[in-house]
Amino acid sequence: MVETVKAGLAAAFAGTEIKEIPYRERGYHLSLEVDAKSLVRAASFFDARKFYLATIVCVDYAEYLELVYFFNHHEQLCRVKVTLKVDPQEPVAPTIGTVFDSASWYEREIYEFYGLRFAGHPNLTYLFLHDGIDYYPLRKGQVPVSGADKAQLGSFQPQEGEDTFFVNLGPQHPSTHGVLRIVLKMDGEYVEQAEPVLGYLHRMHEKMGENRSYYQFLPNPSRMDYLGGMSFSLGYVTAVERLCGIAVPARAECVRVAATELNRIASHLLWLGAYLADLGALSPFLFAFDDREQILDILEGIAGSRLTYAYFRFGGLFADVDDRFVTAARAFIARLRGRFQLYEDLVGNNVIFTNRTRHICEITPELARKYGVSGPVLRAAGIAMDLRKRETYSLYGEMDFDVPTGTQGDPLDIYEIRVREMENSLRIIEQALDKLPEGPFMVEKPPRKLKPPQGDIYHVVESPRGEVGIYMVSDGSDRPYRMKWRAPSLSNLIIFPELARGHMLADAVAILGSLDLVIPEIDR
Amino acid sequence: MGERGIHLDKEILPVKFAVIEKVLNLARANSIWPITFGLACCAIEMMATAMARFDLDRFGAGVFRATPRQADLMIVSGTVTKKMAPVLLTLYEQMPSPKWVIAMGNCAISGGPFVFEGQYNVVEGVDKLVPVDVYVPGCPPRPEGLIEGFLKLEEKITGERRFPGPESRW
Repeated sequence: MVETVKAGLAAAFAGTEIKEIPYRERGYHLSLEVDAKSLVRAASFFDARKFYLATIVCVDYAEYLELVYFFNHHEQLCRVKVTLKVDPQEPVAPTIGTVFDSASWYEREIYEFYGLRFAGHPNLTYLFLHDGIDYYPLRKGQVPVSGADKAQLGSFQPQEGEDTFFVNLGPQHPSTHGVLRIVLKMDGEYVEQAEPVLGYLHRMHEKMGENRSYYQFLPNPSRMDYLGGMSFSLGYVTAVERLCGIAVPARAECVRVAATELNRIASHLLWLGAYLADLGALSPFLFAFDDREQILDILEGIAGSRLTYAYFRFGGLFADVDDRFVTAARAFIARLRGRFQLYEDLVGNNVIFTNRTRHICEITPELARKYGVSGPVLRAAGIAMDLRKRETYSLYGEMDFDVPTGTQGDPLDIYEIRVREMENSLRIIEQALDKLPEGPFMVEKPPRKLKPPQGDIYHVVESPRGEVGIYMVSDGSDRPYRMKWRAPSLSNLIIFPELARGHMLADAVAILGSLDLVIPEIDR
Repeated sequence: MGERGIHLDKEILPVKFAVIEKVLNLARANSIWPITFGLACCAIEMMATAMARFDLDRFGAGVFRATPRQADLMIVSGTVTKKMAPVLLTLYEQMPSPKWVIAMGNCAISGGPFVFEGQYNVVEGVDKLVPVDVYVPGCPPRPEGLIEGFLKLEEKITGERRFPGPESRW
């Protein structure tokens, strides 16, 4: 795959150097630099070969701004980095929103944080930031917002329409699971247009990443996604370890996998309860939380906190586990296996639930690719992409588990997949506990101060919601030069306007709930 | 009880119905209706507090209302950003008096871990926006912590504590 793409690129972009990158160290296979004229051609090249756009990153090197586009393929692993240098005085780049729908959202984010304008963008307005901000936050050095851009502040302005009205879903609404706001243009009971307004929980994680050392950032990832905190922590520590070349003892890897999977089950259980509560069934909430509390007890025993863990450290773990963890985890596996039938009776066989979720929307593989959707939502569209299998970070390569997929791409499929995923997570935990070797839980000499070599890395892990990508640029100092997080919830959310169009409001809530959004992860 | 007594005209002496107030406050303290207003991580612990294990209903405070107009307690559970601040104020103003506010977690108390030099988006403490009655520290606080916050609020409303408090060991 990599060879064919490389040959194709060499033919299409004659005169451009296509570098092959050591994937183990950097997390991507190919890299090429294009100029502004051929950027759209490059995007079309990848679109024609059924790649999806993982994310767009902007990095401010003092002499120039660099736009970094990451493309990947659903069937086979082939990550390509495309870069474009932009003049920081007059930052303008062409939009690729015409090729990939998700791009226009990522471009809006870059526009407000860097002041980089995208020529041809249909709706270049602020997405995350509040109206009182007068400089570009992620630029190095204070660059004031220019007068023309200030006029565009002020998020979303509903226009007066004929026979339509606007409904504000959120930011305080029980079914948006936090502070998400969606402005709906309604035609009677039907949604004509939906527009997410984000940033009500923008907590500056990326800015903090640049201001703190690698160690000081350790508590942040689990606060970014408070339901799947272990996955985010795992992503962060493995990314830094990969950048520095730290090998982790086998015992630590086993515990990491077990803890992450326990956390994944906790996240899915909470989703199950909250989703059913959205649809009007309150009792599954109580059952799911009952099971979830068991997991929290186990994780609290090893990590010391119930929700926001900083358990993984560079080179191992914060503390060793004892027999109590193993017995408790095994007891939980037995308990939850006995509960699946209950959930099936309570939810899966519930006529009201199935009738409300079956066929209300359809996520096709093509739509999912255009929006860069990932996680259970992508698998519901029938694409068996699970990064635990595909990228095999940590110990996942040695684990035996299935990747369930759906056929319809409706919320019922997504529900089925999440339940199957919980079963598979139990299998993974069992294997990790069986394998758990004796030995150290930390490398012999944990590094006191981390100073990774110069370079960048794009590291991905599978969180309960999908592909978490961490793009880190190191300049050789003890703090990252740039840290960008690709949030799976964001790319899952931007497909919502497409899915909700033409549906009834109650169905739109059912669709929104099935995407399992965690707001601080979207806003970062 | 003083401040929340029924005041008639400022010109004449304030009239207070002491016994009625006492009974009313007892009722208020034992049926606190919070608004479902989850902001961030703390909201998950707030949900856990309301669920079966910690069962906030034991204290009559489990009736979470989705609209501020039916609520008399706002639990600010999470980080308040500058974009969220006007929304929070609107919600607070929509709540009928008497109303109370619990600042849950370090973010709501002071901005928590998200305060650093050059930060541009976080309100450093919700008490800069609305008056706060009880502060519950933690990141996030455990459900037991939030329950203790509720007991403190009850104490503030009625003037006496439901249970004897935990013994001070230090």
